[in-house]
Amino acid sequence: MEKPFILHMLTTAKNLSPFDVNMAMDAGWISAVPYINVEPSEVRGLVQDAIFSRSPKGLLRTAIFIGGRETKQAMDMLKMAKNSMVPPFEVSVFADPSGAFTTAAGMVAAVEKELADKFDTTLAGKNVLALGGTGPVGQAAAVIAAQAGANVRIIGRQLDRAERTAELCSEEFGDGKITIAAGADTDKAEYMQTADVVFATGAAGIELLSAELIAKAPQLKVAADVNAVPPSGIAGVDAFDNGKPIAGSISGAVGIGALAIGNIKYQAQSRLLKRMLESDQPLFLHFEHAFEVAREFIKSTN
Amino acid sequence: MPKRSILHMFDPMPNNSPFDINMALDAGFDVLMPYSNVKLENIHNLTQDIIFSRSPSGVKKTAIFIGGRDMGMAIDMLQACKPAMVPPFQVSVFADPSGAYTTAAALVACVEKALREHHGKELKGCKALVFGGTGPVGIATGVIASLQGADTVLIDHLSVDSANDAVKQYNRRFSSQMTGGVARSDDEKAALIADADIVFCTAKAGIRVLNAAVLAHAKQLKVAGDVNAVPPPGIEGVGVNDFAVPLVHATQSVNAVGVGALAIGNVKYQLQHELLKLMLETETPLFLDFREAFSKARTLV
Repeated sequence: MEKPFILHMLTTAKNLSPFDVNMAMDAGWISAVPYINVEPSEVRGLVQDAIFSRSPKGLLRTAIFIGGRETKQAMDMLKMAKNSMVPPFEVSVFADPSGAFTTAAGMVAAVEKELADKFDTTLAGKNVLALGGTGPVGQAAAVIAAQAGANVRIIGRQLDRAERTAELCSEEFGDGKITIAAGADTDKAEYMQTADVVFATGAAGIELLSAELIAKAPQLKVAADVNAVPPSGIAGVDAFDNGKPIAGSISGAVGIGALAIGNIKYQAQSRLLKRMLESDQPLFLHFEHAFEVAREFIKSTN
Repeated sequence: MPKRSILHMFDPMPNNSPFDINMALDAGFDVLMPYSNVKLENIHNLTQDIIFSRSPSGVKKTAIFIGGRDMGMAIDMLQACKPAMVPPFQVSVFADPSGAYTTAAALVACVEKALREHHGKELKGCKALVFGGTGPVGIATGVIASLQGADTVLIDHLSVDSANDAVKQYNRRFSSQMTGGVARSDDEKAALIADADIVFCTAKAGIRVLNAAVLAHAKQLKVAGDVNAVPPPGIEGVGVNDFAVPLVHATQSVNAVGVGALAIGNVKYQLQHELLKLMLETETPLFLDFREAFSKARTLV
């Protein structure tokens, strides 16, 4: 008999996200086991416990999911998990803290699609503003867009925090191969003069971009908002919008709302969970892989 | 519809061990339910909650697993389950904190087999050192070896007081006759190993406990067993897959052999698997600790 699929689900929070549990079960994992309040220092012990009770063949049907809330912490835990493997005793690991990696991937992939469909162009060389970009989704989206060739600026209410986040994204998540800039929220009118793309990834219920700034932006093409709770993060962009022209935009910009992004996010997370089930070698998955499968999904719907 | 089998997994720690989770599912339990941060005083109520929601035939498909890291706590919890049963409402209970009971049982059974086959001797009367002796695997190993009649020394790497505390507590509890020792340096290890017949290495993973220079001091070493599977091995020269392979660095000892972590792990794995399966198959409830584990391990090697 084949061994049942087991997903060990680690979180630094006091509970798993039920969203992730549903996703794991629906992707085909037979047993999803929670490990809560996990300290990053405990990752090595847990991983080595998980790898030594199955044969290498059985370990192909075993994997680890890393949740939590924080991007850097999740990436550190992923690295630590990878370094704790003792080949051939190794399992796949997938980090998606608060679903931020797959949400960011869904958003950037949706933006890329609109750029291609409506403006016949790509992310390369575009000016991207990540509003409310210091949080987990903003960080991952900034890195993914920068890796696709965009000039990304993370905008925060506090400039020093935005600067620290931008540096973390460039150096740590981008391996020093990308350069992400920072800016203060009070200067956003100026940045909107040259922005091609806007990501709104702030806290739910806060308007990050007004109708007035949208209307006047001379070269804005796509504005994406991950917030599903009214009011919208971007004025005039509804949660259901999926490439709908934004009323009043002089540049003919289109909007992408939370539900359209959510659909791609769902597909990306599900595909990565399934990839771990099907792979004949261990995979270490994070936002880059989420973007890969989000693009794959969009391609499959064209 | 037939009832699904359920394993309720009690753990005094914040989380269960992923090792045990894999093992329990692979042994055939349909549903695993983790209970974390469980305290000894919770055991009675949790157990009665488990036995009273299924018919006597349903409780046969229900069992309890006790994990954690503390050797004594697991025994206390196992004991606390027993009076909570109300026959015919009763379930099997298996304690194996950190896998320590099955690891120790497998280690001693493997070493015993090598001792018999390569030296024609029994554990009784042999001098056995347990390095990493104050950890859960070390204590269980020490108790099993001592109950088999070996002159057993539990060795701590920092303090003889820690070793003596453990010895006192567990000798009283299990009627064993261990003594305590300390090995803070290679010199202290060399002095201890000089007249040892058996070495059990149960220290933390990835730590070299006995190097070649220390092993060269052993004058009558017969078998050395190492449970550390993460490089470097705890005992220099013992490969993880070795089963009774000559210990080349024990230059003064004749025919000394080593048993490596994966060879022991293989027996431990089968043992834990069999004990979990036993709970699914048994007609009468079982209470399994390291003593039952050792009896079963002897039949496996």
